[in-house]
Amino acid sequence: MAEAADTPTAIIARAAEELREQTFDDISYRALADGVGVSERTVYRQFPTRAHLLEGLAAWIEATEFALPAFVTIPEFRAAARARFGAFDAMPAYAFVCARAESISPTGDSERPFLARTIEAMIETAYPQVNARDRRRVAATLLYFASPQFWARMRTGFDMSAPAIADVFDRTAGLAIDRLPTMSRMPQ
Amino acid sequence: MRPEPLSPAPTEAEDAALNRTQEAVLSAYAELIEELGTDDVSFRLIARRAGIGERTIFRNYATRVDLLLATAAWIESSIFARPESPSVFDMPLAIRDAMEAYDRRPELAHVVAETAMRGVSGAAPSPTRDSLAAMLAREVPSLSEAERESIVAALSHLDSAATWVTLRREMHMGGRDIADAAAWAAEAVLDPIRGRVAS
Repeated sequence: MAEAADTPTAIIARAAEELREQTFDDISYRALADGVGVSERTVYRQFPTRAHLLEGLAAWIEATEFALPAFVTIPEFRAAARARFGAFDAMPAYAFVCARAESISPTGDSERPFLARTIEAMIETAYPQVNARDRRRVAATLLYFASPQFWARMRTGFDMSAPAIADVFDRTAGLAIDRLPTMSRMPQ
Repeated sequence: MRPEPLSPAPTEAEDAALNRTQEAVLSAYAELIEELGTDDVSFRLIARRAGIGERTIFRNYATRVDLLLATAAWIESSIFARPESPSVFDMPLAIRDAMEAYDRRPELAHVVAETAMRGVSGAAPSPTRDSLAAMLAREVPSLSEAERESIVAALSHLDSAATWVTLRREMHMGGRDIADAAAWAAEAVLDPIRGRVAS
């Protein structure tokens, strides 16, 4: 296998490879250890529980396969989210792992993810006069409807593919943004 | 279509017909998840808590995954049971209540959220889809198929444990702010149809 930077990364890369053939639940620590050429105990030391492994794997997948294209404006964000739904459709096994990882009880303290902060900054720039609560409501809606969980629910529960999923995201995002007061409707 | 699994997770109809042993197993597991998390709970521990033999659990739930999915379904239908909403315009209220309920039982909310993200081999991710569609068809019959589907999809996504998990985990919101934001988003989804109800 390719030279990996460090043991945890090598284990994660191996797990990602195995995901092409089987589900996350079928990946064994034994097989990961054998694949990387370390002891099973080393795998456990890096990833004490399957939740740790799931989180590490999802972080790696998000960074290597599903990085959201850079965006500054709201239309750019909407286009980026649409493109990412297409990427999820192209690699559903990876996307389901991300959706699962974002749903489990966090294994450690984490700072607010980059995407959440970026969306909040985007809304603040676009609507500087709008009160903080309404801005936060919109940011939460945009983040949640652009998420892998939304893709997973639409795919499994509604048999939708990426273009239809992106349409529901876009419509909902538009309705949330339309609830914000605009400059022209404010008193002079 | 997925093949019929050997021991299917109970559907909603079967759920009502859980026998006493199954109910004891599922509630014991739910209790232990709240105390220990999902990873550290052995079948032996569940059996002891439920007051039955370990083999009885295996007879009802052949694998750990079967047991987890059945438990998630039981948690949703008993601990997070929702009162029937008579109108689709009550959904923001129902969603606010649901978020407060998830906030009181965080470990169980995570279990419900995660098991719905496993694709066809997991829990049904949109259990309220049909009832939402029926309410909308009755109350706002002039909607096009596409409009109705989009509203049902958005509301069913908001009325789920994943909402609570995501807004807490990604936005670092507290319980009240989550309930507020989720209900507000549901109101946004309903905005275009408020004035279109059948007379």
